[in-house]
Amino acid sequence: MKRNTFSYKVKQYLMFGGVGTFLFCAVVIVPFIYGIYLTFTSWDGVSRDKPLVGFANYAAAFKDADFWMAMGRTVIYSVFAVVFINILAFAMAYLVTSGVKGQNFFRAGFFVPNLIGGIVLGYIWKFVFNRAFVAIGNAITGGTTTSLLATPRGAMFCLIFASVWQYAGYMMLIYVAGFMSVSDSLKEAAMIDGCTPAQAMRNVTIPLMRSSFVQCIFLSITRCFVIYDVNLSLTKGEPFGESVMAAMHVYNTAFTYKRYGQGQAEALILFIVCAIIGVTQEWIGKKGEVEA
Amino acid sequence: MKKTRKVLAVLLTIILTLGLAACGGGGGSDSSGGTGDGTSITLFNSKNEIQEQFEELAKQYEEQTGVHVEVYYSQDTVSAHLATKYASKSPYTINMVDPKDIYTLGKQYGADMSGYDWVADTDYAITVDGKVLGFPTCIEARGILYNADAIKRVTGKDFDPSSINTLDDFKAFLDELVAGGMESPTAILKPDWSLAAHYLQQVYEEREDPEAFIQGLYAGEVDLMQDAKFNALMDTFDTLKAYNMFKAGAISAEDELVHQAMSEGQDAFQFGGCWEWNDILTYDYTGNIGIMPGPQNVQDAYTGMLVGGGSKYFYVDGSEYTSEADQKAAMDFLNWLATSDEGKTFVSETCGMVSPFRSNTVPCSNDIGVVVKQYVDAGKLVPNYDYDPDDHYSKLGIEMQKYLADQCTREELAAAIQNYWATTTPVEH
Repeated sequence: MKRNTFSYKVKQYLMFGGVGTFLFCAVVIVPFIYGIYLTFTSWDGVSRDKPLVGFANYAAAFKDADFWMAMGRTVIYSVFAVVFINILAFAMAYLVTSGVKGQNFFRAGFFVPNLIGGIVLGYIWKFVFNRAFVAIGNAITGGTTTSLLATPRGAMFCLIFASVWQYAGYMMLIYVAGFMSVSDSLKEAAMIDGCTPAQAMRNVTIPLMRSSFVQCIFLSITRCFVIYDVNLSLTKGEPFGESVMAAMHVYNTAFTYKRYGQGQAEALILFIVCAIIGVTQEWIGKKGEVEA
Repeated sequence: MKKTRKVLAVLLTIILTLGLAACGGGGGSDSSGGTGDGTSITLFNSKNEIQEQFEELAKQYEEQTGVHVEVYYSQDTVSAHLATKYASKSPYTINMVDPKDIYTLGKQYGADMSGYDWVADTDYAITVDGKVLGFPTCIEARGILYNADAIKRVTGKDFDPSSINTLDDFKAFLDELVAGGMESPTAILKPDWSLAAHYLQQVYEEREDPEAFIQGLYAGEVDLMQDAKFNALMDTFDTLKAYNMFKAGAISAEDELVHQAMSEGQDAFQFGGCWEWNDILTYDYTGNIGIMPGPQNVQDAYTGMLVGGGSKYFYVDGSEYTSEADQKAAMDFLNWLATSDEGKTFVSETCGMVSPFRSNTVPCSNDIGVVVKQYVDAGKLVPNYDYDPDDHYSKLGIEMQKYLADQCTREELAAAIQNYWATTTPVEH
């Protein structure tokens, strides 16, 4: 049997990847292409006819000030969230690989927030911010404390806080794997050569963990950009619609305002922005990767 | 070791295959529809609070007629949920939607229900292009909720809502309550739907020709600051704001807290409507909660009237996805809901809703509903205006929230409202 014929390769591929490819096409590629088609229609989401309107939805999306405000907010939120998620995750990973007592317990404990779904997590934090913190504030000051969720900046802070809390544990696992992949002998060699532990960390461990950073930052950026569930349950866009993130605006446009085509066009723009940032970051990160 | 791995591989393959088969099977059985002998129809209920009761009623109906009615509920936005049902070509036979959806969804997919007994029995059916498309589930009205027990506790006298006619009366009464020890006698719900779709909406509705007024807004010809009704309602709103018990966190006060305060008599007045009954019952309800018209200093034809009308309408799917027999079964079910004793008891007593049907004399089990029913019977209900653009409540809700939180002046609010309407594409209807 010849192994380098085209039909043999196709058969081999179909045998191993056929089902996966089919499912991927059915649930990702086909809806994606159909979605692009819908951006050229003025469909309201339910009616039978989907009149073609050319690029009108894209024009409307570019003119939609609320969308770009939401986009700007999402960028600000993502920058803060990504930075804090990764700093915290790295610190926690360092802690749980440094041999402290009960480190397995900490590993599990830090990861738990990630097991709580975004919606539930949002409601829990809403309660904490709206009731618990306010009650504590009242008790301390003796006066009336307003909830953080009542001000636009406060709401933004709450969103960043809840996201960091949710994702840091997950990213920690990737950093833990990174730490474990750096062989102790390399660190030891560096110390023998006169490095302080901090220098060894900066010059040996971190460069060798570069792939963990690339992965964690990529994952956190892409997740933050499409945040919806926490946004919905924690702030619902309030106060004054100033915590509406891009994904929530897209949902509202498509389903609440019944401008499906425009919503879809905005979703596509969000996708492209997200993809560009993610891929660029991945590319820059991969470029300088060192192999041990 | 090798053997275990082989066994494991085989097991995994079986599990995955079964999983796939189950998914496929699920999709297949869905389309068959029937349960065997009898007819089977589906009903989409968008009122979460009556889901269990509805399922119970469906059981009763099946026992009587043999027709199986499967009742569904979804947390999703109604139109988004129905969109997925239509996209998968398996819509519900009966759909509960908001009145404005009848003019869009109902118009496209709805089946004509004229000729049924219930149509002549109500003033609230929705007819589009000569076809009866919307079956009213209940009447809902907006106004000021009051807790008569809480008031009596402070003033020592029985509360008579008819003694408060103007805003000045209202203010004087609130001051009396404050003097009596109730520090903050009012509360305001902060969600956008309550502030914009319910409160602000009254500005459009309480006038002779709401349609002309709305057209004026679209055309940018209305100056709200010069409009007596707008100012009168905003004056009342200011009063509610001034005595608001959640003043410090007006826009972070959760609905639950507001309802609890009303239910337990921590405050005396709250802008709201009869749908809040179930939320109010959740707490240590003191009893004696009622509803009265919002007092305004402008006295006109609408003074002493609540605002409201039919709310939550059923339409029967008349598209090619639903067979004629199923459509007929669905219409029969709705007719039964309106005309049978079981249906009447279900609406008024079990669910505590205000029935839109004249022949329904079963007393309403909802204290607020009882009062609303009196207003309905006396013809003291200002009709709803159902043709707002879809983003009206959320966009202007934001502006109303700013006003509630003292983040903008009345001039700025008026300008924002005018600007919204002037830059929005008019809704065809």
